Amino acid sequence: MLELLKYIRGYLRIRVSGFSPERFMNLCSNKGILLWNIVREGDVYYMNVNLKGFWSLKPIVKKSGTRVAVLERYGLPFFIPKLFKRKMFVGGLMIAVAFWIWSSFYIWDIELEGNYQITGDVFQSFLEDNQVKVGMRRDALDIKELEKEIRREFTQVTWASVKLSGTRLHIDIKENDAPITVETKNNSGGTDLVSEYGGTVVSIIVRSGVPKVAIGDTVEEGSVLVEGKVPIYNDDSTLREYFYVDADADIVLEHTRSFSESLSFNYIKKEYTGRNKTDYYLRVGGSEWSIADKRPYLVYDSVIKESRPLVLEKLSIPVYFGSYTHREYQNVEHEYTLKEAETLLKQKLITFLTSLEEKGVQIIEKDVKIDTDSSSWIIQGEFLVQEPVGVSQETVRMDK
Amino acid sequence: MKKNNERCKRKEMLVESLKLPKDICMGALKVTMTGNREAWIENYRGILEYTEGLILLQAKTCQVSFEGTGLSIDYYTNEDMKISGCIACVKYLG
Repeated sequence: MLELLKYIRGYLRIRVSGFSPERFMNLCSNKGILLWNIVREGDVYYMNVNLKGFWSLKPIVKKSGTRVAVLERYGLPFFIPKLFKRKMFVGGLMIAVAFWIWSSFYIWDIELEGNYQITGDVFQSFLEDNQVKVGMRRDALDIKELEKEIRREFTQVTWASVKLSGTRLHIDIKENDAPITVETKNNSGGTDLVSEYGGTVVSIIVRSGVPKVAIGDTVEEGSVLVEGKVPIYNDDSTLREYFYVDADADIVLEHTRSFSESLSFNYIKKEYTGRNKTDYYLRVGGSEWSIADKRPYLVYDSVIKESRPLVLEKLSIPVYFGSYTHREYQNVEHEYTLKEAETLLKQKLITFLTSLEEKGVQIIEKDVKIDTDSSSWIIQGEFLVQEPVGVSQETVRMDK
Repeated sequence: MKKNNERCKRKEMLVESLKLPKDICMGALKVTMTGNREAWIENYRGILEYTEGLILLQAKTCQVSFEGTGLSIDYYTNEDMKISGCIACVKYLG
């Protein structure tokens, strides 16, 4: 620490010779001038003295009758003027500082966080539509307006925060985890619950409306299950008026569902020939430079790897480098074996059953067969299921 | 001579009874040594002689000489100084 301080202030190595160098040192210490690394060689003394002390040495030298010679100069006060003699260095420094200041007026990176449903691409195009892009001027950005626009455009975003830190635009959003509830129309005209498929009623719990079916009834597709038209009677059991409500009920129907999927005997598989070719590129903003063949092989796919120099990541300047690896392949026709076909078809069946379970469907009986026809494997299944039923439909009004 | 000695004794008693630091009140030299390689000296008046084999310092009441080989002064200020080298002998003169 002390060394650093000495370096910043600057110091000299001097040679003291003459009548009484001891007296010279005593006078220096009396005047508060720091001397260090005092070495004697013969009749000559070498020592370090700080720059400020050196300027007040003259009367001491006179008084003690010694001679002082400067041997070397150390420290910043000597180093900086030397630097400024180098014109190219100074020019480069000024250009660098100017570039630094100029580039700090622009946005060089946009970071998005908190998006799960909204993909990065969708958000990117939204930003482009709003004239927010990499390389735009910082003062052209209206943060408050952008936050509002995000919430306006994406209804599932419940909270949006846009922060500009340095040259990086940081967008933080929070999406609604709960499913979006569509506001139901207020009890204006009333709605019925209608069956979207046929079957036998297994259970019925009505919350509002008049049930039109009972347990054990067989219903057709499109028939009314619960009516949203509630009759109100007078004391003498005559109809006074209808009160219209939105019918709401949990009704389970038992019916048969079928499932059928097919898989052709043959399929095409990519087989890599093992021939690869790697091209490197440099990308700055939107432009890209690379030394590459346009079409290295007849049929190929490419793997792109991209990374950023670490320093530029911190500075948020859009400079990337990466490589394309082109891999040649051939399309080879293969035939499924029975075992492969069974596994694949069963996988499809499981996906179907899982989707049913997610809807709250209970499977009572199942009957699945795997068969073949002229060109493909076929899986067919019949399921007896108990499934919730009921879609809303506007009630037919009976005006008095 | 006797008078001077008596005064000195009285001063010492006073300083002792008041528990004042002796090096300041009596103008005594303070030498701190680490082995025989380094010595820190405070309360001196100045250097009388400085060679590789001898450093002679003037204190308020006496002179002190450090004898040895390869002696050098690391730093030298109004308050304190540091001597390094191989110190063989420290002598108080007068």
